[in-house]
Amino acid sequence: MSSGLSVDAVDGPGGEEKPPEDPEAPQQLAGRSPTRIALGRLARDKVAVVGTVVLLILVVLAIMAPLICDWWNIYPDQKDPNAPTPSQMLDGNQLPSFGPPQYPFTWDHPLGIEPQSGRDNLALLLYGLRTSLTVALLATVFSTVVGVTLGLLAGYAKGAVDAVLSFVIDFFLSFPFILGALALAPIITSRFGGDQDTLRRAELLSLVGILVLFGWMGLARLIRGQVLSLREREFVQAAQVIGVPTWQILFKELLPNLVAPIVVAISLSIPAYVAAEAGLSFLGIGLTESPSLGKTVNSAVNYFERYPLYLWTPVVTIMIMVIALNLVGDSIRDAFDPKTRR
Amino acid sequence: MRDDRLVTIQAGFPVGGRSPAFQEDPLFGYVVRRLMSSVLVILLASFAVFAIFYLGPSSPAQPVCEGSGRACTPERLANIEKSMGLDKPVLEAYGTYMKGVAVGREVVIGAAEYDCGAPCFGISYGTRGEVTDELKERIVPTILIAVGGSLVFLTVGVGIGIAAAARRGTIGDRALVSGSLLVSSVPYYLLCLLAWLYLTLKTDIFPTTGYFPLSDGDPFKTFTGLLLPCLVLGVASSPVYARYSRGQMVDTLGDDFIRTAKAKGLAGRTVLLKHGLRAAIVPIVTIFGLDFGTLLAGTIFTEKIFDVDGIGVWGLDAISPPQDLPVLTVTVLIGAVFIVVSNLIVDLVYGVLDPRVRLG
Repeated sequence: MSSGLSVDAVDGPGGEEKPPEDPEAPQQLAGRSPTRIALGRLARDKVAVVGTVVLLILVVLAIMAPLICDWWNIYPDQKDPNAPTPSQMLDGNQLPSFGPPQYPFTWDHPLGIEPQSGRDNLALLLYGLRTSLTVALLATVFSTVVGVTLGLLAGYAKGAVDAVLSFVIDFFLSFPFILGALALAPIITSRFGGDQDTLRRAELLSLVGILVLFGWMGLARLIRGQVLSLREREFVQAAQVIGVPTWQILFKELLPNLVAPIVVAISLSIPAYVAAEAGLSFLGIGLTESPSLGKTVNSAVNYFERYPLYLWTPVVTIMIMVIALNLVGDSIRDAFDPKTRR
Repeated sequence: MRDDRLVTIQAGFPVGGRSPAFQEDPLFGYVVRRLMSSVLVILLASFAVFAIFYLGPSSPAQPVCEGSGRACTPERLANIEKSMGLDKPVLEAYGTYMKGVAVGREVVIGAAEYDCGAPCFGISYGTRGEVTDELKERIVPTILIAVGGSLVFLTVGVGIGIAAAARRGTIGDRALVSGSLLVSSVPYYLLCLLAWLYLTLKTDIFPTTGYFPLSDGDPFKTFTGLLLPCLVLGVASSPVYARYSRGQMVDTLGDDFIRTAKAKGLAGRTVLLKHGLRAAIVPIVTIFGLDFGTLLAGTIFTEKIFDVDGIGVWGLDAISPPQDLPVLTVTVLIGAVFIVVSNLIVDLVYGVLDPRVRLG
């Protein structure tokens, strides 16, 4: 954020309208869509580029997790018949028999072995990344769909529908999120009790469900506000006059005008969901069956002095991921709307 | 999430956009309407938790049945459910619960009977003590942490924001803006955890953390115990406030009245604080009020990591089996009350702070 945009353009929410500081704009008379302009700005933003590269590396690592683990001959759990049993990996104190903290570094297990369970830390990390990104992406997709749809409806429909939807938005905003998640998590999960594999999937879905349930309101309110003003514009009135069906006005006329706030909301909600997943798992109310970075942090706390590597790898990974996502999200917001700076 | 709210709030509050003409009874009607919807939100939130457990797969009476020492047969479970009134429809049971909150009631758990005075939030299945009594104890550390943390981030965060706005465009300002983004990107619980591990356990910088009740008669210990939790909470929230108040100040400092104040020869500090901050403080207070409820309801990480027996940890403990429905209901209820009340106060105080705003 310190680069790319000059500080003058960065300051002041809702200040005087400045012409976009785009050096190429005067020469190029051909029209460019706002999205193109934003992408151009983004490509010149060094922070955004670095953040995107970091994220791409993380995403590739997450996608390739099974391949990497296969190739390295490491396993995130003991289900695989080839996986070593805990007794092969641990000594009498439940500490690893290879690698840190008691023995020198070994390439077989570059990030060490988890105490108590004897699983490989690198495998846990890669699969944890995978879980984290999956949950965040699913939650973002669903909460965006819900938020946009309800926001469009509330803004476009006057009267009772708007009043009810606005109340629902206010209600969920007033609901203490973590306590709500506390109450809901075990109930949804136990509905799907059964074998470990179903339970794992149920847990993942219920976590996504909880994140969506408490995550759609911000966007819905934003969209509602935008639609309230867009609704009175000529192009919408024209569409109404010539008898365009309502759903078509909503999704074909209004939605394209809302791309910028939606993209911004998406880019800022992904890091929030990544952090929330790890946070809930850290508290023990998120994921218990799937590998999760937050869960690893929680169990590593007891070993922080004897085995710092075990604690710091998931901590640093979460930090890098969330910081990179936030920096990119912030750059995207700047690119789409350089006026709103706080 | 937080950023979303900031944007929404900015868009949602008309400042000076209303007609200045005084309406018939603007304030009274507005207050009544806001109060009613607030009460409705709180009732719905507590009912939601209640209903979740009713519709859940295992009966809320299950832990009571299992905890009594004898085998929990289906007949015994049914008997206990009946004695607790859990066989009734969910609305009726909720009605009984709410009546208890208003006037007190007799609570029956299995064979035992308890006389629970108003406001009665039930009897904890775990401790068999009145939930209300424990609530009174546990609410203190939660409020202390939230208030202490707020003091830190309001002074540090807003202070830094003002300083940066006054030096706008310098290297210090740029460093602050990018630095604050970096700090606010680190998930709060990681910051909290690392602070506890390395400042309390490993080194002796903050040797005793935790909550030591004031009733122990050692206020200094209470203070030092909560100092680190408050500092961490404050530091973690400061960047958001620094950035926000910087933006507001920059906006305000560009206004004509600031130029007038400077032109008539007022000292720089007076212009900055008396004229600039006075005008910029309104949106900052708004954000603070909207956040404070969430802060109170969400000190759960602080409490868990620093081992403070507050509301959040209470709820967390109540959820791990054996589940304690009365405790869980009251934590959600209190969380919703915190949020709703602080939002209400913001709306009402807003008109006082900014005379241009007309409520109604």
